[in-house]
Amino acid sequence: MTNRTVITLVGKDHTGIIAAVCNYFAQNNINILDISQTTVEEYINMMMIVDLDGYRKSFPELVADLEKVGKQVGCIIKAQHEDIFNMMHRI
Amino acid sequence: MLDLNEVFETNKMIASENLDVRTVTMGISLLDCCDPNLDRLCQKIYDKIVSSAGALVATADEIALEYGIPIINKRVSVTPIALVGAAACHTPADFVRIACTLEKAAQKIGVNFIGGYSALVQKGMTAADRLLIDSIPQALAQTEHICSSVSLASTKTGIDMDAVRLMGDIVKQTAAATRKQDSLGCAKLVVFCNPTDDNPFMAGAFHGVTEADRVINVGVSGPGVVRTALSKVRGANFEVLCETIKKTAFKVTRVGQLVAKEASRRLNVPFGIVDLSLAPTPAVGDSIADIIHEMGMEYCGAPGTTAALAILNDQVKKGGIMASSYVGGLSGAFIPVSEDSSMAEAARIGALTLEKLEAMTCVCSVGLDMIAIPGDTSSETIAGIMADEMAIGMVNQKTTAVRLIPVIGKKAGETCSFGGLLGDATIMPVNRYSCADFVNRGGRIPAPIHSFKN
Repeated sequence: MTNRTVITLVGKDHTGIIAAVCNYFAQNNINILDISQTTVEEYINMMMIVDLDGYRKSFPELVADLEKVGKQVGCIIKAQHEDIFNMMHRI
Repeated sequence: MLDLNEVFETNKMIASENLDVRTVTMGISLLDCCDPNLDRLCQKIYDKIVSSAGALVATADEIALEYGIPIINKRVSVTPIALVGAAACHTPADFVRIACTLEKAAQKIGVNFIGGYSALVQKGMTAADRLLIDSIPQALAQTEHICSSVSLASTKTGIDMDAVRLMGDIVKQTAAATRKQDSLGCAKLVVFCNPTDDNPFMAGAFHGVTEADRVINVGVSGPGVVRTALSKVRGANFEVLCETIKKTAFKVTRVGQLVAKEASRRLNVPFGIVDLSLAPTPAVGDSIADIIHEMGMEYCGAPGTTAALAILNDQVKKGGIMASSYVGGLSGAFIPVSEDSSMAEAARIGALTLEKLEAMTCVCSVGLDMIAIPGDTSSETIAGIMADEMAIGMVNQKTTAVRLIPVIGKKAGETCSFGGLLGDATIMPVNRYSCADFVNRGGRIPAPIHSFKN
């Protein structure tokens, strides 16, 4: 099992959303491997694949911290291990 | 690399279509607990369950958090207790003590059910089987988290009609013993034809004697996901309909496979099977009846429903089978009336009748499930309904089951509430003509012929 985690963000678009998430990652030594996003009307859907090898806290702490960051920027941010998506969409 | 749309498709299934893993069930063999002394037996049973499954709930919760997929139930199934208690139990009350021990263990480890308060009597009853069956009403009245099942028939052995007749009485006694809670005890009691040894779903889960010492079995779900997928192909032909169900079932089952493998690794317990089931809940949108509706029926129960259910059941298996390395359990669509709000509604308005449900059980994975019937239904009639269902399973070489709740003090058309995942139901009318002379004959119905199939 790798340590790659998928971060998803959904919410109403405004400036500073990705900056807030990336700041948290920078402060906690989380490396971003891939980012993609779309904006439909005024809503943003963003996905990041990150590497948690350098992260010192636990996974439940990551989930709780991202929830806090999400509240600050008015978005829902989730962290899930990459394998659930690979299992469902790749044979 | 993952695609944005794929990631959001998965999360939409979880967030708005009720995709979840319905249960992670640890099967535990209690054969090595057997002891002629009842005190020692109970202590060994408690110790083995607590030491084997103590970390089950925490581990499942951890997996749910890391993958972002809800795991609704964490459960344990054990060796049929009629076998485990045979040497130690000399009265029904002795068996009830084992039930109370299982209850204590369930509360200690935090699982929501322990299944396996069971007897396998498809060919005949031992003295211990008879004592356990006699103890069921009290065992279910005195416990909260224990499920009981009795195997009454199989394709290879025929139907034990003495046991069928007896279970008619036991269901009534269980209903009476739990009458203050709308006869809730009967929701935790099921009779089977051709039961499976590795079923992770309640109330019928037990850990068969051919199984390993401990094993992890997982039951998936996802009726809401199938319904949403079908809503995008309205009016399309059957080829498109079937392909859509198959592809969706594949995706749903892959999640179950992932959770099963991960739970097995973290708990250091072998992976057994994934049960490819579409299991509804009372939550809006989490319904098999809604899928039937989406396939083109005005209400579940309308003519065409049996064909629709046959398609659904078969395509779920075809899609799921490649998604998991080991498939087992009941695998198919469940039709528990009170647990499926749209099915309960179809029953309430009269679109879905007991007879139509019986026809539907010929093509789906279980049987007459979670059906509330009038409290004054005779035990002979209940035995007759069981005999019909056992015959369907026996002749068609499939698992069938009966979980009826005669709600004491209530009549057809009245409502009852079982709470939580067990849901609410309107009491369905039962054919009022008698089968007493048939079920009172006694003895066994021989196994059917396996050739000359028509």
